[in-house]
Amino acid sequence: MRIHRLKLAAVAVGLSTALAACGDAGSSGSSDTPDVEVQEDAASQFEEGSRMAELAESGEITIGVKYDQPGIGFKGATDDAPVGFDPEMGKVLAASLGIAPEDITWKETISDNREPFLQEGEVDLVIASYSITDERRAIVGQAGPYYVTGQQLLVPTDSEIETIGDVEGTEVCSVTGSTSLDNIEQEGATPRGFDTYSECVDQVLNGSIDAMTTDGAILLGYAAEAPDDLKVVVEPFSEERYGVGYSSDSPEMCQWITDTITAAEEDGTWAAAFEATLGQSGVETPEPPAMDECAAA
Amino acid sequence: MARVRRMTVQQDREINAATGQPLVVLEKVNKHFGALHVLQDIDLSIKRGEVVVVIGPSGSGKSTLCRAINRLETIDDGSITLDGQPLPAEGKALANLRAEVGMVFQSFNLFAHKTILENVTLGPIKVRGVKKADADKRAMELLERVGIAHQAQKYPAQLSGGQQQRVAIARALAMDPKVMLFDEPTSALDPEMIKEVLDVMVELAEQGMTMVVVTHEMGFARTAAHRVVFMADGAIAEENTPHEFFTNPRTARAQDFLGKILKH
Amino acid sequence: MDDVTSNFDLVLSAFWLTIQLALISGLASLVLGTLLAAMRVGPVAVLRRAAGVYVNVVRNTPLLIVFLFVFIAIPNVGYLTDTPFLLKGVIALTFYTSAFVCEALRAGINSVPLGQAEAARAIGLTFGQNMTNVVLPQAFRAVVPPLASVLIALTKNTSVAAAFGLLEATARMRGFTNNNADDRLLIFATFALGYIIVVELISLGAFGLERRWKAAR
Repeated sequence: MRIHRLKLAAVAVGLSTALAACGDAGSSGSSDTPDVEVQEDAASQFEEGSRMAELAESGEITIGVKYDQPGIGFKGATDDAPVGFDPEMGKVLAASLGIAPEDITWKETISDNREPFLQEGEVDLVIASYSITDERRAIVGQAGPYYVTGQQLLVPTDSEIETIGDVEGTEVCSVTGSTSLDNIEQEGATPRGFDTYSECVDQVLNGSIDAMTTDGAILLGYAAEAPDDLKVVVEPFSEERYGVGYSSDSPEMCQWITDTITAAEEDGTWAAAFEATLGQSGVETPEPPAMDECAAA
Repeated sequence: MARVRRMTVQQDREINAATGQPLVVLEKVNKHFGALHVLQDIDLSIKRGEVVVVIGPSGSGKSTLCRAINRLETIDDGSITLDGQPLPAEGKALANLRAEVGMVFQSFNLFAHKTILENVTLGPIKVRGVKKADADKRAMELLERVGIAHQAQKYPAQLSGGQQQRVAIARALAMDPKVMLFDEPTSALDPEMIKEVLDVMVELAEQGMTMVVVTHEMGFARTAAHRVVFMADGAIAEENTPHEFFTNPRTARAQDFLGKILKH
Repeated sequence: MDDVTSNFDLVLSAFWLTIQLALISGLASLVLGTLLAAMRVGPVAVLRRAAGVYVNVVRNTPLLIVFLFVFIAIPNVGYLTDTPFLLKGVIALTFYTSAFVCEALRAGINSVPLGQAEAARAIGLTFGQNMTNVVLPQAFRAVVPPLASVLIALTKNTSVAAAFGLLEATARMRGFTNNNADDRLLIFATFALGYIIVVELISLGAFGLERRWKAAR
């Protein structure tokens, strides 16, 4: 039964890639993501009773990603599945369990519900520009970092803000409750929180607010959309280390995530995923970061 | 003694009223409430100093007539003039006219959130621009006159109906009106309180106030009125001196009405 | 929770902004709502109609959309871009709340016996004097409880401003929960308690007014 289903899945993967190749003649866009090789007979490779073995056996996985961060994790109203670097990492991890991309259930996680979703089993993994912090590691597992970025500023092209010192006394927006907003408040700017990055960009474009701040990768995506009006300035003034969140009930997942992503970093899958997503904004593909050691289980 | 003096005052006034100029004049006044023709071609002229009592069965239009004189009811056609001036349609001019016409309601309508004193001074202060101290002084005189001065700081709900109606009269008088309208002033009162209100009204009549009184109090009509106007079905059926009207009513409607109310 | 206790000044300043929003918008809504109510019961047909349309449109619009309008739609066409955020928040909240104040007050005006207004007209008060001296003072007494409800709803509605650049209590709470994933429940409870205290102050004020006005009649 299970084998039968896996075969079907393999056929589906083949078919969809073929279709994608057909319809892809002239365009280069989000559908142009690298194929991932789906591991066959994955369940047997994991220790019996481990969460990985359970997932591989069920053939299904639910992954929480952001839906509102171009380049990182973004899903338009009419899109079927989210696109971005985070979903690509999700596909890599799912493939190692023998789960094809079509069998992944994507779920939108916002900053506020990432931990509750993990704790309640609402999602199996969170890959949602999820910075690794001690506070978070106290209640959920975080493996990584699979990507390191830093906070920067997005300003109108004619802005006088050039260094981080220039933000004092200005109004800077980001997403309400985000760490970026806390950081900019400490730099002496008035923090202005909005629900989404696009509302925040609107405020910068219409002149209500002086700058937008968040991880540089996201800002580059917006700057690429309006290069005549917006630019990214300031050396990164924080380090955000994105990790993969998992339930602390399943500490065995850490080693699996670390190994799988390290392998993807080494065999070029990581770089291909980056170029297809964050790399679209013109930024050079960086060296993949070294993953943290997992605590002894 | 009092009786004698009253007679002389009344005789004076009768001469006055007879020779006085028309103060309130209604000509061909008509009003409908939907299909109901509540005022039909009303012609009525009230002289300065005259006391006119309007009686009639309920639904005869007598209250509507009274309320039309200060335009609390609008009329469909015809004209109403006060002291030669037609009633303004609305706005400041109408408010100014109403200030000249005192009105006493069946249900008193004292301002529930204001003290007795404030009820009497509100009009003078807001409409006439009288200083508060002067308004208070004059209000206390008026309250003294109607016998409520010692209750000036109370609220209306703390007074009996008769007391409230006397305050309402003081409130109207505080505006120094040219004419006073009384719309069934004793109908909502317990019997033992009717006299105290009527006494105030009789005294007012003796002092020469022009009054239009809608009432069922035939005793008041006999002693204080110069003229009785009898209304039925929206029209003036008969008008006469009180003596003539009560002893020798001419119309069948009036005879029937008097027969009913004077029987017991 | 250590983060909250050691940064308690941030909690207080956030609630201070919440209170400012509620207080300024509350006063402005009372003024605008009273004007609207007077227009709705007044003698001028055009104003009556205009106030009616205002109330119907605003009451049927979600507050979030009112905020989107003031903070995003209008600035995107070039207006209000230099307006301070606090003022924009007050504008959005007042615009919305005044419609509810108007309707609560109109119910109160209708509960004042007609004879009161007639007696006021009979002594020569103009419509405006009638409203301010006789009808509205009594209407306000009748609507203290429903008006308190409107103001309480307003206080809680200020949290919508969290998503529009204003660092009030809810926005600050989201910052704390984002940084302290391990203490969510306690942080929620702390901020909920803050709102309860603010709302309780309004309720107490309303209760006091009600009692004082009950004695004075």
